Amino acid sequence: MKIRAITLNNVRRFTDPAQVVGIGDGINVLSEPNEHGKSTLFDAIQALFFKPFGSRDKDVAALRPHAGGAPEVTVEVETDEGRFSIFKRWFQKPLATVHRSGALIAQADEAEAWIAQLLGGDAGGPSGLIWVRQGMTALTGGSGKEEKLALEARRDLMTSVGAEVEAMTGGRRMDKALAQCRDELAHYATATGRPRTGGPWKEAQDQVEELSAEHDHLASTARELHDALAERQRARRALAELEAPDVVEERRQKLEMTRAAHAAATRHAEEVETLARAMDLARLNAESATTRLDSYRAAEAEQKAALAEETRARQATDAARSALAERRTALEAAEVSAQEARTALQTAEDQRRRAQRAVAAREGADRRRALEARIKEAEEARRRMETAAAAARSGPDTAALQQLEALSAELSASRAARDATATQVIVHYASGSSGVIHGDDGPLADGTALPLPRSTTLRIDGIGSLEIHPAASGQEDGSVEAATAKLQTALDQIGAANLTEARAATAARAEAAARQGEAKAVLASLAPNGIDALHQELAAIPTPTTETDAPDIETAENALQAAQTHHEACRIIRETAAEALADAKVDAARSDAMLTSLTDRLQRAEAQQAKLGDVAEEDLATQTVTTAAALEAARLAHAEKAKDAPDVASLQAALTRAESVETQARDEIARLRPLLARLSERITRASGDAVEERLAETQEQLQAAEDKLARITHEVAVLARLEAALQDARNEARERYFTPIVKELKPLLQLLWPDAELTWGEESLLPHALIRGGREEPIDVLSGGTQEQVALLVRLAFARMLARAGRIVPVILDDALVFTDDDRIERMFDALHRQAGDMQIIVLTCRQRAFRALGGQALRLQMVKE
Amino acid sequence: MTFRFIHASDLHIGRKFANIPQPPDGNIRGRLMEARHGAITKLAQAARDRGAAHVLLAGDTFDTATPSPAVVRQALTAMGEAPEVTWWILPGNHDNLRDAEPLWDVISRDAPTNLRALTDAAAIEMTEGITLLPCPVAYRAGASDPSAPLDHMQSPEGHIRIGLAHGGVTDFTESGDAIAPDRDRRAGLDYLALGDWHGRMAVSERVHYCGTPEQDRFKHGQRGVCLAVDIAGPGAIPKVEEIETGSFLWSEAELALHPRQDAAAALNALLPTTGRRDHLLRVTARGWAGLPDRADLARAAETCAPDFAHFDLVTDALATQYEAGDLDEIDRGGALRLAAEALVSEAKSETLSQAERDVAADALARLHAYVQGAKT
Repeated sequence: MKIRAITLNNVRRFTDPAQVVGIGDGINVLSEPNEHGKSTLFDAIQALFFKPFGSRDKDVAALRPHAGGAPEVTVEVETDEGRFSIFKRWFQKPLATVHRSGALIAQADEAEAWIAQLLGGDAGGPSGLIWVRQGMTALTGGSGKEEKLALEARRDLMTSVGAEVEAMTGGRRMDKALAQCRDELAHYATATGRPRTGGPWKEAQDQVEELSAEHDHLASTARELHDALAERQRARRALAELEAPDVVEERRQKLEMTRAAHAAATRHAEEVETLARAMDLARLNAESATTRLDSYRAAEAEQKAALAEETRARQATDAARSALAERRTALEAAEVSAQEARTALQTAEDQRRRAQRAVAAREGADRRRALEARIKEAEEARRRMETAAAAARSGPDTAALQQLEALSAELSASRAARDATATQVIVHYASGSSGVIHGDDGPLADGTALPLPRSTTLRIDGIGSLEIHPAASGQEDGSVEAATAKLQTALDQIGAANLTEARAATAARAEAAARQGEAKAVLASLAPNGIDALHQELAAIPTPTTETDAPDIETAENALQAAQTHHEACRIIRETAAEALADAKVDAARSDAMLTSLTDRLQRAEAQQAKLGDVAEEDLATQTVTTAAALEAARLAHAEKAKDAPDVASLQAALTRAESVETQARDEIARLRPLLARLSERITRASGDAVEERLAETQEQLQAAEDKLARITHEVAVLARLEAALQDARNEARERYFTPIVKELKPLLQLLWPDAELTWGEESLLPHALIRGGREEPIDVLSGGTQEQVALLVRLAFARMLARAGRIVPVILDDALVFTDDDRIERMFDALHRQAGDMQIIVLTCRQRAFRALGGQALRLQMVKE
Repeated sequence: MTFRFIHASDLHIGRKFANIPQPPDGNIRGRLMEARHGAITKLAQAARDRGAAHVLLAGDTFDTATPSPAVVRQALTAMGEAPEVTWWILPGNHDNLRDAEPLWDVISRDAPTNLRALTDAAAIEMTEGITLLPCPVAYRAGASDPSAPLDHMQSPEGHIRIGLAHGGVTDFTESGDAIAPDRDRRAGLDYLALGDWHGRMAVSERVHYCGTPEQDRFKHGQRGVCLAVDIAGPGAIPKVEEIETGSFLWSEAELALHPRQDAAAALNALLPTTGRRDHLLRVTARGWAGLPDRADLARAAETCAPDFAHFDLVTDALATQYEAGDLDEIDRGGALRLAAEALVSEAKSETLSQAERDVAADALARLHAYVQGAKT
């Protein structure tokens, strides 16, 4: 079926007939602004195909204009059988007709049946499946009834190209089997396959665990019981062995025997010990006797020796003492002599000093006189030198004179130069009148030229004065006056009136200097170290004494020599005597000490003798012999006794062993009896608890429980396997079921998203997730644009499936792309064109500019011209 | 003069049967226990009936080395209540001398006068002209022939020599503790009364296992018996008579199935019609069965089980044959069919382990059951 024209009358704003004509194959676009009746057109087509002409429901009512009236819709369709005009009117005179080439072929209910047939026989049809109402860009939506219809349409379509979904997926039987399986499985296991708490599986597991624990416990108790039984048996045997009468008797006898032997040995050992002590005593006695004899003999010898020595020492001491007395006397005599010699020496020394003084006094008077004269001369020379020095310091020296000479020469030169150029006056006197003319410097000399460098007044006696003014020719430059002044200043400095006088002063100075040099030389020869030195030298000369009886110096010297010699001799004699005395003193002291020590020794020896008492040496010797014999006897007795002594140590060991055997036996018995009691108690208790009986029971129970657990485990495995098998089969069936639509959709999807896939909901028969790049995104979380693109593509795929099923139905899209951006819309247009082919797609849009790029046949909704 | 006595063994008094599943409302374990105790009375009755004054118990009178006091005391009392009979009790491996020492202490202390505990391997005169040669078991597991001492046991000239021992004649464990089958000849015995095996067995004309008087396993397929033995005199061949004493019958049956057979009917045909209450039955199914047959078989077993003291259907050896029809019953196509086919191929797979194959097969049977259940 393809729609060729649509006419509306009395439909909403179209109170006058309006129509769309020239609808072709492929894509047709009705692009109008809002409010131009696109949706009205869509609703009208929808109503025509799906609303019975007798319907008065709200959808139909919504078609009526405000003013009321009967809405009329005419659609011309073309099918394989030709071109038909379908007309419906609702409310007033409701009517449905189908015309073919102007001939009525069906009317009223028959027309409705014809329409239903045209749509494919079923309700729903393309409406929800592929027609998109404005604002219904998602796949779901609309009223509940519409959704249901759409679902049925999809199911019909899928079924028509494949099998019944029910048949494919097993439908309710599958659901029921799966539910039953899951239900039974849930009885045993959790969703994750673990035993469910409180379930039989868990219970069986717990029971096995519990019984295992109990079994282990009982087994260990049984083992303990067996061990106790075995131990009791051993203990009983051991006790019986220990307590057997013959064994006890044997132990006792052995113990007694060893005890007796040990006692005898101990006694013997004591006797040996006693003899040993007696032997020691005898040895001590013998040793003591020998010692006493030795002491006695030693003391006697010592006393004799000490006495002899002491006597000798006493004699030596006496000799030393007399020698000491002699030498003391000798020393006293020597000291007297020495004293006298010293006195004599002193006297001689006095005499010689007096003689020496007398000689010195004589020699001093001559030197004094010579020195006093010399001092006088020296003082005269000094005075002269000082006078000359004073003169030599007054008057100009040579250098000053030379300067004067130079200045004077300069003056003369200056004057000569001036006079040479100056006006000159020469007077030649008449006799007798000479000298009447006077210049500044007195009368003018006759015939002598007088230069006049400046205005000069010549006074002429008796006549008056003559003023002469030489011409100012530059000759008078003042240099003569300057030189004159300089000379005069120099002269003034040295206090000379003129040069001649200066020259004399200079000469006088030189002469004074010569005089000073002379006087200085004289003084230096007389007093090279100064006059004060001479005065000191003079003071050093002794004043002459008045002594008159001074001995002759030579005599005095001789006497002194003699006295010295004598004194030296006396001194040597005295020192020798002193040394001798000291030696004698030392000898005497040594002798005394020796004597004292020997006296002590003698006393000690005597004391020693006294201590030994009044015994005789013979007695002591006898004693020694006696005690030695006693010692020998004791030694023999001891050796005799010790020779046949039994071995106490080994007997002691034997006794210890016998005793320990007995003790061990007693201890063991003492240990075994309570042990037996304990074991018996334990055995009684355990056997009273019927531990083995319970163990056997528990073992059987455990076996039963394990069998049960194995059965349940198997059951769980069976159920799990069945669930998996059912689930897998259903998934596979579903996949097969959706294969046709997936195949149709695939190239469309790839226009937008290469490698994208859709997963399908079995119940809704709609995609519920988009898989892109391996990531699954539920449809309802995708963006609005993507959602509407998926929805449109899915509808196009359905339309293609319908077409393949031989049911070509126009695809009507009323603003189906609202959210799509420019890039995607281009690709959607590609999809539309790809699908258009031999189909018919009618696009209603208000997006005029955007849809210009879609191309296709442009439609206009226009008024029908009467 | 003919000497007559009763030969019994392996009473295993005090056995709890905890391995027998107890139905929620049942008391089968209690009944089984009680029957073991009841064997004493049965033996006493058998002795009275045959005019025998002696009962020889060849070991394992008690199930464990330490039975509970009540078990011991009640057993002893029961024996005491048959004063005309003398009970000769030999320690077996379950109540061996070492582990059960307290038990034997109790018996020697509290036993009635007509009870003789044979705890010493020494000849003992039972009565005029009859010497009993007991071989008590000292340890639970020995390493030597427990009847070996018999060779050296002396008896007065002209006495009948009766040996009493406990152990197997075949050395299953290769530990060397088997009883020599010709021990009677080696030891010059007139009769060797043996215990340990629960089934009745005549080893030779003088050597006999009496078996337990009350069965406790499926193996033997016969009620328990005791033996009444007549010995005419030294060297005479003993005359042995079996006397049934067992209350419960333990038996095993094999159910061979093939496909397209009515498995439930086959089972029902196999079952006894009477005595089910005292019957413990284990049916082992073998062969092949289709999926519906299996389900039928399971239902039939479920139905009959409460009739019996104990009923157990073992299907481990029963293979399932899958037919196209079975799978069609699940579904002719679609996902259920897919699942069923996957499980079939897994159940038949040769690369998977037996356990995995079993899981798959059972899963398939379960799916079948679900779908069938949903239909009805």
